[in-house]
Amino acid sequence: MRARFDELGQAIETGCAPGEFACATIEAERSEFVRINGARWRQAGRVERAVARIRLVQGDRQAIHQLTLPGLEPGVGDLTGAVHESLAALRQVLADSGPDPLLDVNRDPVQSDDRDLHEGGLVFDRAAFVQTVTDAAGPADLVGFCAAGPLARGFCSSSGSRQWYQRERLSFDWSIHLPVDATGGDRKAVKASWSGPAFNADDLSRAIADSRRDAQVMARPVMRLAPGDYRALLSPRALADLIEMLSWGGFSARAHHAGQSPLGWLRSGKSTLSPMLSMAEDLDAGLAPGFQADGYPRARRTALIDRGRFADWLVSPRTAREYQLTGNAAGEGEMPETLRVQPGSMKASDALSALGTGLSISNLWYLNFSDRPSARVTGMTRFACLWVDQGEPVAPVEAMRFDDSLYRLLGDQLEALGDTAVLMPAGDTYDARATGGIETPGALLGAVRFAL
Amino acid sequence: MAYPIETSADRGAMVTAWRRQGVGYCATADLSAAGLQRAADEADHWAAIAERCGVFEGVDLHALLDTRSLPDAASPIVEALPDRAVLLAMLREESDAMHPDPRIVSWSARLAVTQRQQWLYVDGQLRARQSSQFVEPNLDVTAADGGLSQTRSLAGQYNGFCQQGGLEVIRASGLVGGGARIAREALELLGAPDCPSGPRDLLLMPDQMMLQIHESIGHPLELDRILGDERNFAGGSFVDLDMFGRYQYGSPLLDVSFDPDIEHELAAYRCDDDGEAARKVWLIRGGILQRPLGGGLSRARAQARGVALDGTANARAVGWHRAPIDRMANLNIEPGHTSLADMIASVERGVLMRTNVSWSIDDARNKFQFGCEFGQLIEGGKLTTVVRNPGYRGVSATFWRSLAAVGDAASVEVLGTPFCGKGEPGQVIRVGHASPACLFRGIDVFGGEG
Repeated sequence: MRARFDELGQAIETGCAPGEFACATIEAERSEFVRINGARWRQAGRVERAVARIRLVQGDRQAIHQLTLPGLEPGVGDLTGAVHESLAALRQVLADSGPDPLLDVNRDPVQSDDRDLHEGGLVFDRAAFVQTVTDAAGPADLVGFCAAGPLARGFCSSSGSRQWYQRERLSFDWSIHLPVDATGGDRKAVKASWSGPAFNADDLSRAIADSRRDAQVMARPVMRLAPGDYRALLSPRALADLIEMLSWGGFSARAHHAGQSPLGWLRSGKSTLSPMLSMAEDLDAGLAPGFQADGYPRARRTALIDRGRFADWLVSPRTAREYQLTGNAAGEGEMPETLRVQPGSMKASDALSALGTGLSISNLWYLNFSDRPSARVTGMTRFACLWVDQGEPVAPVEAMRFDDSLYRLLGDQLEALGDTAVLMPAGDTYDARATGGIETPGALLGAVRFAL
Repeated sequence: MAYPIETSADRGAMVTAWRRQGVGYCATADLSAAGLQRAADEADHWAAIAERCGVFEGVDLHALLDTRSLPDAASPIVEALPDRAVLLAMLREESDAMHPDPRIVSWSARLAVTQRQQWLYVDGQLRARQSSQFVEPNLDVTAADGGLSQTRSLAGQYNGFCQQGGLEVIRASGLVGGGARIAREALELLGAPDCPSGPRDLLLMPDQMMLQIHESIGHPLELDRILGDERNFAGGSFVDLDMFGRYQYGSPLLDVSFDPDIEHELAAYRCDDDGEAARKVWLIRGGILQRPLGGGLSRARAQARGVALDGTANARAVGWHRAPIDRMANLNIEPGHTSLADMIASVERGVLMRTNVSWSIDDARNKFQFGCEFGQLIEGGKLTTVVRNPGYRGVSATFWRSLAAVGDAASVEVLGTPFCGKGEPGQVIRVGHASPACLFRGIDVFGGEG
């Protein structure tokens, strides 16, 4: 992939006319995808794809063309010809384009190369993976998805910039489902995931065995709770689901100025969050590239919320120009890529007793704002949601809908944060495998409002 | 401020290897003979593994393949799109009309045009060739004051109005002149009271009905969900295999069709991506569930479980880099016989809601909560106060049974969205939804925090 990226860089340089500047970002992957249903293979295959987003700048005008490269390997197809054709087409587009006063792209020849240690690439042993999952699942109804192989991001420019990020990664995400209850029609399941640079049969087998064990508590009859307020213990994944809603414009300087931020009231001081809550965008986790689409190296760490107070926002070069702000080289979407929430002091061994009586929630699902300015969010419980009575898990609970403000949940209702934060790489595969992720501890909440 | 113009070119092939009881795929942008052969080898490698441990026991996959050629298909283009400069001027004019007041803090006018050429070869024979042109305009504007904000858009912030065709799509969308209108409405909403809470009659306009159909009819009827494929991600369904032909999904007024024949609707096509010819069928008739949204592969799997079902040609992939799965296409509510005026007049205490802004539903597609951009109270048979942050919640399995009136053909709008997400790996695909306005009785509605 790196060799293909270098070809792209060369083509950008040779295709650029005097007085022009051109640059390109690239997203590339060679992915093996496997879908599993009932511990049987539903869909399996490979996707090889590299997409370049080429930007041509003439003076104060710019235009962008996205091009799928003709293969991942160097020398395949006429990449140089395709890039030069793209640049020619962009010149036509520029004839229709007006000046862009917000144009800002890094023309310095920045060099970086951030790769993990598997230089030759790791071979995904398909047959061994199949055997391991099948054996470990046994008779369990395992439904899962595996994405394996290298993925990369790059930025190159006609002025010689070459910034590169590449990782080998295998992510396997699965759930164990119990038979549908013949009388109540209840569907019960637990969720788990495993990731690493490459397949490890022993580790994965153990993780699947653990999830099968976790599923046993779900075999008990389902409880149905009336709508109302309930104490809740959130797993790190469930807290991450809540926190990720803040990424929908919460930290975006543009969203704040556009009246579309759920943290506008925090920034203005109208509302507060718990002083236990601190979080930062932190690229040191290694899950995301250290550069953005305009070619600027990103800040390694940006504190976003500090002890419940709004600390800083993410400002892209374009937003910085539009609103005369100090930029911090955020991406165009101004969303955190690796958000790390500072852990608290609650030990895992004490969590259930600290909850006492209430809900233990492993996953939340399908969250959306019901009122964005007040950060009011609705969503569902999913997978292992258990009723806990005096510190003891009693029974699974039917999926429930909550509708509550994050200012409340993460404000006066936040009683404790777990003492260990869990790093969860992003598993999104829409269009391309995502980089980035989130790191959070679990959380104990005094009350969550359930509406349905 | 004009953003830079973006263009895109995406070309590649999905090669699928079909063994008798196993399928594998490989997607490549290397379209040389050697590249395609390598992809075929990779796909067959996976198919061989899937044949040993796949979900296709009892299914003869080869029986699903059809090599006979279908006639070419193309989007109906009534009026060619003008030059880019003309389109840009159109957007600029609307943009200029969207900020008449200092409380307008952001606004945008956008247009996406996608041309797609698709060839499907089965065993070396050209099965189908389809060309499509998708036109996706939108406007949105946000008004803010005193820590509150309200956003209004053309038909939803996620592109509710989009169709296949040419300039006529832009004309029909309301984009021209729409900027000033939605700016006025955003300002009106900013000063409006919050929607009240409690049970009320609910009149949903087509640009909210499309979301209601999509989430609580479309997704639960997808046969791959019912077969369990999506339980790890998008979820399952409250619908079971044995409900078809007998389950009372909604009131007797509910007629739902899968209709690929409305050619300008966003997801019209001649055949699906597994090569099955598409035609109009009824999914729900007189409120009774008839058939799932299930392509040939899913139906064969259901048959192998002993359940014979009629289905739909809806195995679809978002592009060459993803394999087909069961998707909605043109999923529509058929018009009824009640005028919009008569529906309003029949409501003593209710709310009219239009334009989706928020959506959330459980993994079985049952307990939902949806929000709209615009609300207006109906009191004593008349439209009265405009209200902001209108929302409602309910349960799919009972919600459709509260359907009390279906708007006549005059209230139908042909809408769609390019943003339906599903599948592992993920796919965001275009779907079409045509619907009249519909009236529901006794729904739990609510407003914002104020």
